[in-house]
Amino acid sequence: MYVLQQLLNGICQGSIYALMAIGYAMIYGIVGLVTFTYGEIIMMGSFSAFYYFMAFGDNLVLSLICGFATAALVGIVVHKVCYQRFLDAPRHISLICTIGMSMLIKNLAIIVFGSTMKGLPIFFEGKTLVLAEKTVEGFHQQLSLTYLQIVVIVTVIVLAIALSLFLNKTRTGVRLRAVSQDRKAAALVGVNVKNTTLLGNCIGCGFGGVAGILLGLYYNSIIPTMGGAAGMKAFSSVVIGGLSNIPGAALGGISIGVIENLGIAFIPNGSGYRDVFAFVFLIIALVIKPEGLFAKRGNNA
Amino acid sequence: MMEKIKAFLKKYQLIVLIVVGILFVVAPLIINGTVKKSNYVIDIMVRILFYIIFASSLNVINGYSGQFNIGHAGFMLIGSYTGALLATKLGMGGPWYWLAIPIAGLVTALAGLLVALPTLKLRGIYLAIVTLGFSEIIRIVAMNWTAVTNGPLGVKNIPKVWLFGISKTSSPLVMYYIVFAFVILCLYTTYKVINSRVGRAWMSIREDSAASMSLGVEVGKYKAINFMYGAFWAGIGGALMAVYYRFISADMFIVDEGFNVLAMVILGGQGTLVGPIIGAVMVNMITEFFRFADEFRLVFYAILIIMMMWMRPQGLAGASNSVLAGKQIKKNDKKKSKHAAKKERV
Amino acid sequence: MKKTLFVLLLCVVLVGSLLVGCQKEEAPEVVDSSNTEAEETEAPVEEVTPIKIGVAAPITGNWAEYGLGFEVATAMAAEEINAEGGINGRPVELVVMDSKGDAKEATAIARQFADDDEILAVVGDFSSTCCMATAPIYEEAGLVQISPTASNPDYAGLNDYMFGVMGVQSAEGPFVGEYLLGNYVGAENVAVIYLNNDWGVAASSYLIETAKAKGINIVAEENHVDGEKDFTALLTKVQQSNPDTICLVTFYNECAIIANQIAQMDWDVQITALGPGASEQIIELGGENVEGFLTSTPFFATNDGESAASAFKTEFESRAGFTLNVHSACAYDALNMVANAMANTDELTRDNIRDELAGLKGFVGVTGPIEFQPAGDIVRKYLIVGIENGEWVIKTDYSYAE
Repeated sequence: MYVLQQLLNGICQGSIYALMAIGYAMIYGIVGLVTFTYGEIIMMGSFSAFYYFMAFGDNLVLSLICGFATAALVGIVVHKVCYQRFLDAPRHISLICTIGMSMLIKNLAIIVFGSTMKGLPIFFEGKTLVLAEKTVEGFHQQLSLTYLQIVVIVTVIVLAIALSLFLNKTRTGVRLRAVSQDRKAAALVGVNVKNTTLLGNCIGCGFGGVAGILLGLYYNSIIPTMGGAAGMKAFSSVVIGGLSNIPGAALGGISIGVIENLGIAFIPNGSGYRDVFAFVFLIIALVIKPEGLFAKRGNNA
Repeated sequence: MMEKIKAFLKKYQLIVLIVVGILFVVAPLIINGTVKKSNYVIDIMVRILFYIIFASSLNVINGYSGQFNIGHAGFMLIGSYTGALLATKLGMGGPWYWLAIPIAGLVTALAGLLVALPTLKLRGIYLAIVTLGFSEIIRIVAMNWTAVTNGPLGVKNIPKVWLFGISKTSSPLVMYYIVFAFVILCLYTTYKVINSRVGRAWMSIREDSAASMSLGVEVGKYKAINFMYGAFWAGIGGALMAVYYRFISADMFIVDEGFNVLAMVILGGQGTLVGPIIGAVMVNMITEFFRFADEFRLVFYAILIIMMMWMRPQGLAGASNSVLAGKQIKKNDKKKSKHAAKKERV
Repeated sequence: MKKTLFVLLLCVVLVGSLLVGCQKEEAPEVVDSSNTEAEETEAPVEEVTPIKIGVAAPITGNWAEYGLGFEVATAMAAEEINAEGGINGRPVELVVMDSKGDAKEATAIARQFADDDEILAVVGDFSSTCCMATAPIYEEAGLVQISPTASNPDYAGLNDYMFGVMGVQSAEGPFVGEYLLGNYVGAENVAVIYLNNDWGVAASSYLIETAKAKGINIVAEENHVDGEKDFTALLTKVQQSNPDTICLVTFYNECAIIANQIAQMDWDVQITALGPGASEQIIELGGENVEGFLTSTPFFATNDGESAASAFKTEFESRAGFTLNVHSACAYDALNMVANAMANTDELTRDNIRDELAGLKGFVGVTGPIEFQPAGDIVRKYLIVGIENGEWVIKTDYSYAE
């Protein structure tokens, strides 16, 4: 029972990571560059929701849309500054540029938003859905999901399905996939590569923004320095899953969430070593399968 | 114009080197007597020297063999802690510390080997995230392994290192010369190694790993040696840091620190000996310069980094003719684009 | 052409930074409020040179929250001192420098302060790592460093010039163990969750030792990293050992988050804490989930403006724009202590100030009475406070622990 509960916790947390990972995988797949600004974009999404709630009251869905839009807008700026110029240049240049950008956004956020931690409104007042109960040796154990956890998982699933449909069934989606496979070939068949890249980047960032809001709601706290850790988790999930492989990234995210939670559950003082579990898993995964655990063969990494 | 400066420098290379060397040696003595805040200025210079060692060692890994290491903070940590623990727990402080320093270097080199082994087949961003992972794992272990590293309490009261029986060596001036000696050693050995077979193997791996493999270069072996070499000097730098600051703790080696060193390497220029020196000097001076901006300090620093990438991505002293420089970045230099066009036609 | 300009610009910046670095002291934060009128009505005989006090704090970086609090609190203290005529007629001038929470930056600042003969004492830094790394420098310069918040148990004893105002954990830990958990709550099975840094480790180990001696069953001891936000896994694990009380040894942000996550788990357990103080942030972030929250605190300021502490709180919050925390209050007291010590000294030298500070008696700040022990830290007395109906209420007073 305990194990199952930790497993459920892990899946819930993992699904937030998965959402971030999907966004990151989109950006990497379409723009083709690694970025370190993703954490800050997640942070901007969560802060936009904070201000939205302050201004317009507690509407969850609208706040998610607001977060998506804000993150996408920030994504446009990041794209123009860090990616567009360096699309064909050696990777490390855009990487350093994104490191600089991330520092810029983070410090501006500290100045503008203030450096104290802020809370998002509490939804669903701690109501839980109890899946199973049992009393063992006088302990009352239960397997439960809080409503918030359910909302998080459902949102992620919905968004993932929506993205999949978008990419596979619409013309724009096909264009995006074309660009992610081969930029030059896509240009040859008449795809507007420049705009499509921008679009792909913005959608990826939007996902990050939504993930940021979910993070803020789940942990009930946001602070301008939250980007670093979030970005690292997103990045690790994507690498485990195989860089431009979207379903792989999602699986990578969930597996990291689960591994972390199980690690904390079973290893003494586990909480301190949380990140170590994720990284050790990552390293082992890459040693076994250098292109990423779930990567399809022949994918341009 | 940069090219003209470079041509000039190349011609009078030896003289320039000697002049700069003398400057570095003499400057602190002059500053010590005259300038009002001398200890502060010399402290900044010592810090620059530390970063020269770190940036150089990272440059060997990133710039010369083209591998992508962003977890240098982990190596720095191992060097520092090894030195500090040898000094405090095993009594290797004071005059024995001179032995502890190379031991720290070797231990870190071993760590470098451990990092290199699973990653020999990884390239690019995969390698980067693994190095980052190692750096974080090392830091978290250091923070939690209370029995050995004192956990979050850090290692305190690290004894000063004795120089010929003089024990007043924590003064910035004396430490400056001690660290300076190591910097010279580091740069000299690096210079020798770069120009030897090993160095050439590294550069061939950087330019085209498949081609070099086909020519008989054992890529795996040289990549591992490369990591070990870079890690070794990072360890030496760390051990020196331990006796300068005399207190270390795991939070001095967070990921941001690794990024800091990476920024110095890239801004100064990868793939050249002098690049990391320029990078270290530049970054440290600029962060001090921007102190007046109060909370905007890091904002300006970030803007500067971005501007640098736009204007001169191979860094101030980078190897412009290597694969590391952006050949296809939009230039307003007609010569280069003509040259590039010629190459593509081949 | 562009590149040339850029390179030239960079050279100018580099040279300029070297020169500026040398002359840095020309740009301190001048805080003395205009009391020139007061000075002129007295016999304007000699030039009144200001007394300079250095302030080292993480104004940017990961702990900007606390650094800004230091800045505001010390500025307030200095202004109030100057409004009353300064120290023996001389105004106080603060030189504030940003350490970013990085030991190397703190060291650079320490050297600057040490070299500047006009700086007679230093208030700062926030993190124990920065304080301990700079200790040797201050000792050599004979400069007092009084840290509002350094809580590494080895800090104050490093040398004679280090002082800490926070209060040793060997006092607060046992207080919580014996009096809060033992006497007040009457807990039997306690789970301890602590922050894995030097303060958290020290505080929790004292607490656990005392609690065990009192017969309390410590069913779980878990730590978390600085900045951790997700405690669900940790809490689920702790829940397994079925405690009736949880004791949190961590900062106020984390306390609030944990309380929220406990509520989300629908788990009804008494939440107690050591360390966050009576922080408004907990109420703001925790809402209903922190009803019944209990913690120890060295001082308490109500919102009614009646006591000195409360007046300080209102003023601080109007200036800073964020709620008061115990760290900023300690910074305020630290500066006042230094000022008092200076006022008592005949000849203002760094060593005299140090001696005066070490022997300062009868000082009562907004955080309560402060008197230094031989090592340079202080033993505080604690209150138990709790949250009732969305407000902090004093549950027991200082005499509870007699």
